[in-house]
Amino acid sequence: MATARDRLRRAKPLLGTFVEIAVANAAHDVMAAAVEDAFDAIARVHRCMSFHDAASDVSRLNQHAAAGAVTVDPWTFQVLEAAVELHRRSAGLFDVGIAPVLQEAGLLPGPPCARPPGPLASSADDPIELLPGHRIRFRDRNVAIDLGGIAKGFAVDRALYALREHGLPQGMVNAGGDLAVFGAEPESVVIRHPLEPDQLVCQVQLANEALASSGGRLDLFESSSVARQAIIDPRTQEPPRAIAGVSVRAPSCVLADALTKVVMIQGEESAALLDHYQSSALVVSITGEILVTPGWLGGENLAA
Amino acid sequence: MTSWIRLAAPAALVSAIAPPAYAVQYLSIAQAQKQAFPSATSFAQVDARSWKAQSGGTVLGLIVVDHVIGKHLYIDYTVALDPGGRIKRVDILQYRESYGGEVRDASWLAQFVGKSSASALKVDQDIRNISGATLSSHHVTEGVKRIVAAYGNRAR
Repeated sequence: MATARDRLRRAKPLLGTFVEIAVANAAHDVMAAAVEDAFDAIARVHRCMSFHDAASDVSRLNQHAAAGAVTVDPWTFQVLEAAVELHRRSAGLFDVGIAPVLQEAGLLPGPPCARPPGPLASSADDPIELLPGHRIRFRDRNVAIDLGGIAKGFAVDRALYALREHGLPQGMVNAGGDLAVFGAEPESVVIRHPLEPDQLVCQVQLANEALASSGGRLDLFESSSVARQAIIDPRTQEPPRAIAGVSVRAPSCVLADALTKVVMIQGEESAALLDHYQSSALVVSITGEILVTPGWLGGENLAA
Repeated sequence: MTSWIRLAAPAALVSAIAPPAYAVQYLSIAQAQKQAFPSATSFAQVDARSWKAQSGGTVLGLIVVDHVIGKHLYIDYTVALDPGGRIKRVDILQYRESYGGEVRDASWLAQFVGKSSASALKVDQDIRNISGATLSSHHVTEGVKRIVAAYGNRAR
C-alpha cells in the first residue's frame, strides 16, 4: 500500500532545458514506470519537433512541405493544429512560421532563407495546410517553421497525460519553468524576476493547471543575465520592447506556452485572447511595473 | 472584458540568500546504475568515474558519472552507453542552483494567495519549482557529447 512518503523526483536534460518530473502517493514501481513513460513522451516530442535535428518532422517539413504534402507524427500534427488555431485567434501574432526571421537574427542556426524578411502571409490564408492522414503542406515555398514556442508546453501536457494513464493521483512536469500539475495537493511555484534573475517576483499555488513563462534564455552556468529572447513580433520583425517577461496560467501547458509569446508582443491588449482560453497572465514591463489579470490573483483557471 | 490590475511594487520584495538556495538530489550513483541497466548483476569500476555493467560474463554497457559546474549552477549527471557506444540514457543525479530567494514581505505575497487556496504561504524554506526565463541545458548537452567521444569505444 502506498504511504504518504512515497514520492519520486527525476530529471533529464531534454528540449534544451532540464525536465523534472515529480510524482507522489502511489507504489514505488508504479511511479517509476509512469515517470519512465512520461520522459519517453517528452523524448518523442523532442525527436519530432526539434529544429536542430535534421531527421525531425520539423526539419523534413521545412525541406519538403512546400513541394508536396509530408506525413508527420500525429503529435506533430496536433501541435500544428494548435499553432494554426492560435495564429488565427491572435490575428497572426502567434506565428510558428517565424523561423526565417529568427535565423536572420541569429537566434536559430542555419543559413538565412533566401527570401527577404517580411510577413510570411496575411492572416487570411494560413501558410500551413492541415491535410487528412496527418499530412502537412506549406502553401508558400518560403515558409519555414519553428515549434520552439509551443512544443515544450505540448511535451509537458503529454508527459502529464502519461502519468495520469498510469493511474497516479498526483504529479508535476516542469520543463525548465514551463510546467503543469495535477492532483489534490497544489504545487507551489515561484516566478523569477525577468530583469533580475536572482530575485523572485511572486509565488503561486497551482492545482490542475499549467504555467509557462517567457522572457529570454538564462544560462546559470555562466552568468546571471538573461540573454536576448527568441520572440519576434511578426508585424515589426523585431523583439518586443515594452515587456521584460510574462507568465501565463492556463488549463494546459501548450496554451500557457504559446500564450506567453502573444502576451509578450501584445501586452494588455491580449486580455481578450487570455479570456477566450480561460487563462491569466502576469506581466513585468521593462520599467519593472507588474500587471496581472484578475484570474491570476484568483487562481480560478482550474482545468475541467 | 478583463482589465489588468497594476500591483504596487513592494519595498523589499525579495533578497537573494546564500547559496545553495535550491538543491535537489534525484538519484545516487547506485540508483542511476540500476536504472540504466536493470538486468545487470554487477558494476565493475573502470576508472574514477565509470563502471561497466555486467550480467554474468556479458557486458551490457558502460555508465559514466560527470558534473558540470558554473557560476550559479552545479549538476551531477550520468550517461549510460550501450556496448556499441551509443547513448542509452542520461539522468540528472543532483541539481544545485546558487540562486533562489527568500521572500520577506508577507503583505506583498498575501495578494497572490488564491481564493481557492486555503493553504498558508510558505515561501522561504522550500523553493522547489521555479518559472521564468528558459533555463539552458547547453552545458550538460556538451558534457554528454564529450563523454560519448571519450568513452564510446570503451563500452564493450
